[in-house]
Amino acid sequence: MRLLFGLTVIGSVWLTISGAAGQSGGASAQAKAQAGPVPRMADGKPDLSGVWQRPFVQDMSKSGRDQQGEANLPYTDWAKQHLIEEFDYSAHCLPLGYTRGMNSPMPIEIVQRPDRVVILYEMNNTFHIVYTDGREHPKDLEPSWFGHSIGKWDGDTLMVDTVGFNDKTRVDTEGHPHTEGLHVVEHFKRTDANHIAYDVTIADPGAYTRPWKNVRTFTLRPDWEIAEYSCEENNKEVNEGHIK
Amino acid sequence: MRNRSTLLMAGALLWSAIPVLAHHSFASEFDSNKSITLKGVVTKVEWLNPHAWFYIDVKDDSGGVQHWQCESGPPNILARNGWRKDSLKPGDEVTVYGFRAKDGTTTANAREVLLPSGKKVFSGSNDDGPGAK
Repeated sequence: MRLLFGLTVIGSVWLTISGAAGQSGGASAQAKAQAGPVPRMADGKPDLSGVWQRPFVQDMSKSGRDQQGEANLPYTDWAKQHLIEEFDYSAHCLPLGYTRGMNSPMPIEIVQRPDRVVILYEMNNTFHIVYTDGREHPKDLEPSWFGHSIGKWDGDTLMVDTVGFNDKTRVDTEGHPHTEGLHVVEHFKRTDANHIAYDVTIADPGAYTRPWKNVRTFTLRPDWEIAEYSCEENNKEVNEGHIK
Repeated sequence: MRNRSTLLMAGALLWSAIPVLAHHSFASEFDSNKSITLKGVVTKVEWLNPHAWFYIDVKDDSGGVQHWQCESGPPNILARNGWRKDSLKPGDEVTVYGFRAKDGTTTANAREVLLPSGKKVFSGSNDDGPGAK
């Protein structure tokens, strides 16, 4: 046996495979073939409940299977100076932040009640509550990792408005920056029994000169359960100093 | 059982050629310009969060042995892609295709693993690195 150092071969193999399939390709095709009517709550609203497989969106400015991004983000001068992240907070198991939670590769479970929609993330085993009982955002919100969310129904589409963020996170793994002025607006529309059409708009005048959007498709996975996940269990990357 | 496991993983290869990790960014740990191929024998597997790791002994040209540690995806994602805790076992001879850590240690990010059966499987690691965009 020899120690072999590959050069370009690995990258080309990866590119080939990456282009051939995606996370939800097979599942999506199967689900579309079986899709039935949209389940509804007693109040007639669409029921978003279920375990959902989503595209892993590492870079919200790029497009891939089941998601479309905007190629050229409208950075402010401040953002241009803060594109490089020196400290990888997610490697240190700090909270991902709201948009990175929604970008994460592992499934979410949505649990819907008439007065709230609860999102359970497998990634870091965390949760978020979207209040749909008509309340507004509290005044003088203390900045937080996931912000404060209220949801309103526009016909069959749930619009989620989230503010009150701290400035310790990035909007995606790529590291696109944001300020405490980040305002996230999302739309969830269950287009059939097995799919949600999702879009998220990032508005943050401190970091972007205009709002920008990313559009995705979520696929129902009734055969999946949200699993346990611990970021700290065997975090060799940080514990052994591979990541500072 | 072993054949079934291998088949599952082979099927997963096409289905799961995806970016699959958000715990940290690829670039914070690995160098996308340093792709590497390691052929060695598995000595230990850690089926743990936030990443599964496996360890291989690699003989070098001078007859010495290098101890490498290879980062893979999180167990939950690997499992959904057909891997099982015992898909890789100590004693298995494997070829690992991946990228070296920036810190120069014998640490790699495993993108694909060629199993003794001849099947090449995606190892579901953090793929915000080369080829993923």
